[in-house]
Amino acid sequence: MGFSLYAHIPYCHAKCPYCDFNSYAASSWPEDRYVDALIAELSSRAESGPWKNQPVATIFFGGGTPSLFRPESIGRVIDAAAHRFGIEDDAEITLEANPGTIDDAKLAGLRAAGVNRISFGAQSFNNATLKLLGRIHSADQTRAAARAAHRAGFERLNLDLIFAVPGQSLEEVRSDIEAAAELEPDHISAYNLTFEEGTAFFADLKGGKIRQLSSDDQAAMYAAVREELPRRGFPMYEISNYAPPGHEARHNLTYWRAESYLGIGAGAHSYARNGAGGRRWWNERAPSRYIERALSRGVAEAGAETIDEKTAAGEFVFLNLRLREGFASADFERRFGRDFDSVFGARAAPLLESGLLIRSADRIRLSDRGLELADAVFAEFV
Amino acid sequence: MTDSRLIRNFSIIAHIDHGKSTLADRLLERTGALSKRELREQFLDSMELERERGITIKARSVRLNYTAADGKTYVLNLIDTPGHVDFAYEVSRSLAACEGALLVVDASQGVEAQTLANVYLALDHGLEIVPVINKIDLPGADIERTRSQIEDVIGLDAANAILTSAKEGVGIDEVLEAIVTRMPPPRGDETSAPRALIFDSWYDPYEGVIGLARVFDGTLRRGMKVRLMATGKDGEVMRLGYFTPHEQAVEALGPGEVGYVVAGIKAVEDMRVGDTITDAERPAAHPLGGFKELKPMVFAGLYPSEANQYGALRDAIEKLRLNDASLVFEPETSQALGFGFRAGFLGLLHMEIAQERLEREFGLNLIVTAPTVAYRVVTMAGATLTVDNPSRLPDESEIKTIEEPFILASIYVPDEFVGAMMTLCEERRGVQRDLKYVGTNRVILHYELPLAEVVFDFYDRLKSMSRGYASLDYEFLDFRAGPLVKLDLRINGEVVDALSVIVHRDKAYERGRALCEKMREVIPRQMFEVAIQASVGGKIIARETVKALRKNVTAKCYGGDITRKRKLLEKQKEGKKRMKQVGRVELPQEAFLALLKVEK
Repeated sequence: MGFSLYAHIPYCHAKCPYCDFNSYAASSWPEDRYVDALIAELSSRAESGPWKNQPVATIFFGGGTPSLFRPESIGRVIDAAAHRFGIEDDAEITLEANPGTIDDAKLAGLRAAGVNRISFGAQSFNNATLKLLGRIHSADQTRAAARAAHRAGFERLNLDLIFAVPGQSLEEVRSDIEAAAELEPDHISAYNLTFEEGTAFFADLKGGKIRQLSSDDQAAMYAAVREELPRRGFPMYEISNYAPPGHEARHNLTYWRAESYLGIGAGAHSYARNGAGGRRWWNERAPSRYIERALSRGVAEAGAETIDEKTAAGEFVFLNLRLREGFASADFERRFGRDFDSVFGARAAPLLESGLLIRSADRIRLSDRGLELADAVFAEFV
Repeated sequence: MTDSRLIRNFSIIAHIDHGKSTLADRLLERTGALSKRELREQFLDSMELERERGITIKARSVRLNYTAADGKTYVLNLIDTPGHVDFAYEVSRSLAACEGALLVVDASQGVEAQTLANVYLALDHGLEIVPVINKIDLPGADIERTRSQIEDVIGLDAANAILTSAKEGVGIDEVLEAIVTRMPPPRGDETSAPRALIFDSWYDPYEGVIGLARVFDGTLRRGMKVRLMATGKDGEVMRLGYFTPHEQAVEALGPGEVGYVVAGIKAVEDMRVGDTITDAERPAAHPLGGFKELKPMVFAGLYPSEANQYGALRDAIEKLRLNDASLVFEPETSQALGFGFRAGFLGLLHMEIAQERLEREFGLNLIVTAPTVAYRVVTMAGATLTVDNPSRLPDESEIKTIEEPFILASIYVPDEFVGAMMTLCEERRGVQRDLKYVGTNRVILHYELPLAEVVFDFYDRLKSMSRGYASLDYEFLDFRAGPLVKLDLRINGEVVDALSVIVHRDKAYERGRALCEKMREVIPRQMFEVAIQASVGGKIIARETVKALRKNVTAKCYGGDITRKRKLLEKQKEGKKRMKQVGRVELPQEAFLALLKVEK
């Protein structure tokens, strides 16, 4: 069975004020050495773990801004993965791109390197909102980038949107969706803006420089998103993700189904399932330290956590419940050797009774109301 | 034993922040009791909680050796006192152990009211008071004004007031000399049966109760069979000694001496503050005066926020009680909160301290219900009940009368605030007994007040309405019948027993409305709408609504960082744990104290 590989590229032209991913604003970066480090880590990780002798089913280049790297660099990582693991014929290979950093030549190069899915951080089609979000691109650049991706032969294209930005109106959220759908992506992710600790936005919020939309306004926007996207052919399949059947992000499904994934690069996380439990680890966050350690030792772990069966069972539930289809209790039982009710029956009962969870046939999933209160539901299982 | 002529027993009276602790530190330092290295800032306030609150809860004593200008070496016993109205009795016992007191006044702030009650208490006990004008190094210091204030307001001769800057170490020698020359030595009868005043006691897990005692007559010796005259408990002196502040064991403590006594007593309630310790085989004819059995004035329910912590809470309260004889408790059950305890306290501060200590020292998570006083109910059947839990009030039809405790409050205040104080007291159903000028612009107001009205934020209001200048002291008067009713709070229609309160009928509507509003603020939005109602005798008098929560979902899953996602969920769950489930509604702990926070 194939596995998922994540490669983190931590560099950006500028750090967006809402972003709390492991990314660093830079005007130059040690691209070759960084790729050497990725390949070194990938090679040493190939020796053991659930992915040993398994082909790669999905690769995801995330960031940061992976599109800052030359296509040849991306190609080297893909080639190394092919060499060390083998890559499935129908593998999904995604690269995150900033619409402001892409042109026909680069897209053609990425296509040639093996990338078959592009994910653009469109975020908004309102230039004022883009500016507030600290984005370096304009709405027109997103439009141009999407057309260029199609021209370059990318049939699979995702657009990321952010809603509930301070000052945003419900109308703007609807028009963003319309604008995104017009570009004919096969997948749209729409994220409610969150103010994460450590970000500039978080500090501004605390300092009273910006104001969050009211919880009711945010709820209304989320409802609008869930109404508009399916209407335009993008059914919701995860809390923030929408795509026609067969076009779901297979890579991300790995996370939501609590399967193994190998993450390489600065600050990347990995999960090696081992029976019911597993082990999760994360790499050095600082790129320079990551490079140094990966090149000298092959690995660059900064921390790790053993996930025991009980914890794993909770994770399995709250991750799978993110998906509209939820999970089959038979799958739970297959993984944990115990039936769902014997482990979580008492916790699930009040949720089922109050209609936040739905059980039909063999599947357990969130109701529409449960979706809006998902964190409260999830918290019952940790 | 020390020649009593060479002993001086004194305490320090000061407004908070006027430099009492710093001065005490300087005295310790100058007499060599502590080296600079050992000298932690503010040695006296050793309990963590005391440090944070900047108040002294329990008395302490330190023995200092001082060689005076006359060449003789004196023993100075510094007896520290608590500083809050809840502990007025402890203060009076500490002062009773002294012959003199230093009155410390901040030269830039002048005399403040909080000190006044204690100064009068000290004068009542016949203490020699030495005024000390401190912080003379501050730019705002006005020595002459402070001097005349001491004379006008307190009526003390301040011509010989000592000028100090405890912070800079200025005037410390003069303070020490004044203690020796101006305060009288203790007088006691060496030959008569021993009598020693217990002015503090605490529980030690290894030795049992340790009492701090001031010997008045006779001598306490190691091995002596002793008796506590109020409680009638006997023991044998196993150890005695004093603190320098390091512990120093001795064979005997003679007249005028101050020290600790360990006598095999197992609980502080058997060695109470104010009791007299005497020789069991040759007991004194009369105890020292002034012992009072402290009765709890304020009652509240203490519940574990998680039911499985009931046993832990019981153990913790029992341990706390070993050290706090004025804390009383008994088990009770609430429909809303499950199994817990009804506890009685001296006052609100005492209650808050007990709560904090239970949470901090025993790692418990508590829900405390709104404090109440104990009511006396006469039923139609002729029985008299004491009700210290509003939910236990019998049905209206069964009640003949309800009586509530009244107190006599003494409020010391500058005359410019008299109007505000009268307004406050009248709002609280007070009846003025008299108003007296002391000094040129200082007033003592006496009011008869229902204790229940004093329990609810009266002290804070008093302070804020007088810019901190007013001070309050009170004593129990009697029980008086009144038109009192039970105000119930309903959450989604159900009465929450732990939220019921007894109020004056004329105030029920206002309280009910304020309580509902406060509840709406503290109850977080839930998955469904929450109706909050106040009712008296089944009739709804106020209503508020908490709208249903529309959204609680984090859009992102943080990619592969599922550990982070899980931790955020765990945190959310932890927050929920601190909530109490009442029916389907989750109530935060603040909800149970909301009544206290209702501002007028």
